[in-house]
Amino acid sequence: MKILIVILSLLSSTAAFQKCSTQKKISEYEIPDHVTKENRELFIQKCEKGKILYKIHCSGCHGIFTKGKDGVPNFTKTQIDSYHAAALIGIDPRNHAVAKKMSSDQIDQIITFLRLRKID
Amino acid sequence: MVILILSAAVFCLSFGLRQKKEYATLYSASLNEFKQAQDQLRSTIKQSDLSKDGDRKKIIDQIKQNRSKLKALDFWLRYLEPIAYKKINGPLPVEWETETFEKYEPPYRRQGGGLTLAELSLEEEAVQKDDVLALIDTSIAAVQTFEADSITSQLSSYHHFFLANRLYLLNLAAIYTTGFECPDTSEIIPEIRAMSLAVKNIYTNFNTSFPSTPLSKEYLDANDKLIAFVNDQASAFSSFDHFSFIKDFVNPLFRMNQQFINRYQVRTISQVDISLENEVYSIFDKRLYHAQNNKGIFSLIEDEKMLAEIKKMGKLLFYDPILSGNNKRSCASCHKPTEYFTDTILTTAFQFDQQKHLPRNSPSLINSVYNHLIMLDGKHISLQGQARDVIQNPQEMNSNEKELIKKVLSCKEYKDAFKKFAARTPEEKNISLEHIVAAITFYYADFSNYYSPFDDAMDKTYTLSNEAKRGFNLFMSKAQCGTCHFVPQFNGVKPPFTGSEFEVIGVPADSNYHKLSGDKGRYAINPVNEMMNAFRSGSIRNIAYTKPYMHNGVFQTLEQVIDLYDAGGGSGKNLKVENQTLSTESLHLTKEEKNDLLAFMHSLNENIIFEATPAALPVSSDKELNKRKVGGEY
Repeated sequence: MKILIVILSLLSSTAAFQKCSTQKKISEYEIPDHVTKENRELFIQKCEKGKILYKIHCSGCHGIFTKGKDGVPNFTKTQIDSYHAAALIGIDPRNHAVAKKMSSDQIDQIITFLRLRKID
Repeated sequence: MVILILSAAVFCLSFGLRQKKEYATLYSASLNEFKQAQDQLRSTIKQSDLSKDGDRKKIIDQIKQNRSKLKALDFWLRYLEPIAYKKINGPLPVEWETETFEKYEPPYRRQGGGLTLAELSLEEEAVQKDDVLALIDTSIAAVQTFEADSITSQLSSYHHFFLANRLYLLNLAAIYTTGFECPDTSEIIPEIRAMSLAVKNIYTNFNTSFPSTPLSKEYLDANDKLIAFVNDQASAFSSFDHFSFIKDFVNPLFRMNQQFINRYQVRTISQVDISLENEVYSIFDKRLYHAQNNKGIFSLIEDEKMLAEIKKMGKLLFYDPILSGNNKRSCASCHKPTEYFTDTILTTAFQFDQQKHLPRNSPSLINSVYNHLIMLDGKHISLQGQARDVIQNPQEMNSNEKELIKKVLSCKEYKDAFKKFAARTPEEKNISLEHIVAAITFYYADFSNYYSPFDDAMDKTYTLSNEAKRGFNLFMSKAQCGTCHFVPQFNGVKPPFTGSEFEVIGVPADSNYHKLSGDKGRYAINPVNEMMNAFRSGSIRNIAYTKPYMHNGVFQTLEQVIDLYDAGGGSGKNLKVENQTLSTESLHLTKEEKNDLLAFMHSLNENIIFEATPAALPVSSDKELNKRKVGGEY
């Protein structure tokens, strides 16, 4: 019985969380005011794609959704400002084997996600 | 006793440090010498009277001395800060750059400066002293960059060394022997002699300072042989044996240097290395640098079986007119896979309406993967972007994403396959145009993986004819081809292979040179004066099979093309070209020399294995669509 309650409450909280996150999507990114509505949507689409790729391919080492690894950037505001696409490929190709394989569109999506993500 | 041990330890330590410093000291000493030479040059210019020939000559002599000091440093400067380097020795007054990682931003203007431009300016009668001074001042300011901590700190570890050395070797093959940055052609070979000796000195100092990651004896011996070869050769760059120089001396050194990079686990923090591959052991291995990704949205799929399926679908789509608005036109309509993925008959292809013609000749898709910017005006940054555009362009295939996906998915074979593929692209789970174009580029890019007899000769598995060898030597010297069509791809991408170059050569509208072609070229994308009528330099590979030539297909034969260059481009043919980047003087090529050039170009025909056209296209549930023909109708 106890287990059932735990499962039920877990399920309901995930459902609630999911609802929140769909509402949150619009306010999840910081897009400058001058960007048109149409482009804003394109940016959000790009960010969402980037987020998915990031979660799968970057989270093993970089924080945000996971603990990440020590000494590996987890893209705080200062870090992202000094972190460029060049660094993604350049610094150590052995660590970034997966990034080397990505298409420029995919890298662009991840960088756009990281740059526009609202950081509290 | 303790004191003795301590002092011995201190002695050892200081000795070790001194050793470590030798390499860095050589750098700062060479830099200082160059700085002093520049200051001296500056005061000479200031005191001179440019109306006097004697004064001009004095300045030119000092520029030459400056150049030789610079050449002793070239090894480092070009690698450590390529942007500042261009201000010291850039070949053009204004360059517009769009490099690998600036692809997403508009091209930016780069003002050149330094020795080459100063020397060229002195050839002009009306040159003002202040203008020459400004060019030298730009250079003096740029040199300071190389004293910054962020740069000199790199000298304390071995990593940068092997990467700078790689760039040096690639430039030996592609740039240094062609006069790319050396307007006085009589100085080219003497400069290389001086530079190779200076580099030998750098090597020696490096080995003293970094004894645990040294250049091997084998490498140093091979380098001595290179120096001996350069010294034995004639001083005129037209008589220099460029072919043997690259094949027997530069390429073997490149191979060993790549081995060091892997053995010593060399790391990079430089954008210079972004396109270059470490595990490639010949300059003529096509994996040397990476410009385009042919897999697009499928980039992270590695399952061989699925990749083979994607390729199969890509091939069907390439021939399938379902991608066009009227179901009558496919990629293969203009890029015929049996004709080197171009159209060798039509000067320029028909527009969608089947009446008018497009403004440009269909380019071959083979080797397009080795360009950073796609299309002759560099409009696109990816192969997929180009495919998306042509499919949706009203003048070309006139389709749109929604309709196209609906039609493609009406074919069961496509639907089943792409459903499977899309399940592997988590960022885009619905079948989209992205999936379609990625399958297409993945298919045709395969045909860029073949080699030519020239490549085989460079890798010593084939003996090239003497005519072709002579032709290559001309290509790299007197005929001035190699300064824009760079080794090893013979396209507009030069070491370190991070950008594509655009040139203005004054192509006529008709083969009788009545007027200049009205195509604005790169100007349409980047509207600045320098880019008016500029086009991205194409590859010479397979050129014998890809007629007609030039952006508008104006020439039917390679002889006509050579004739244009021999005459000094459009300007040399008396057309009004404001900003021609090609020398306007005649090359004075003899008939024999032209034949040798042709023999060399023919040696770049790749041994491509073409595939048979598919027998049928996937069946659609829409009967109307099943009337479509393999490859389209026009």
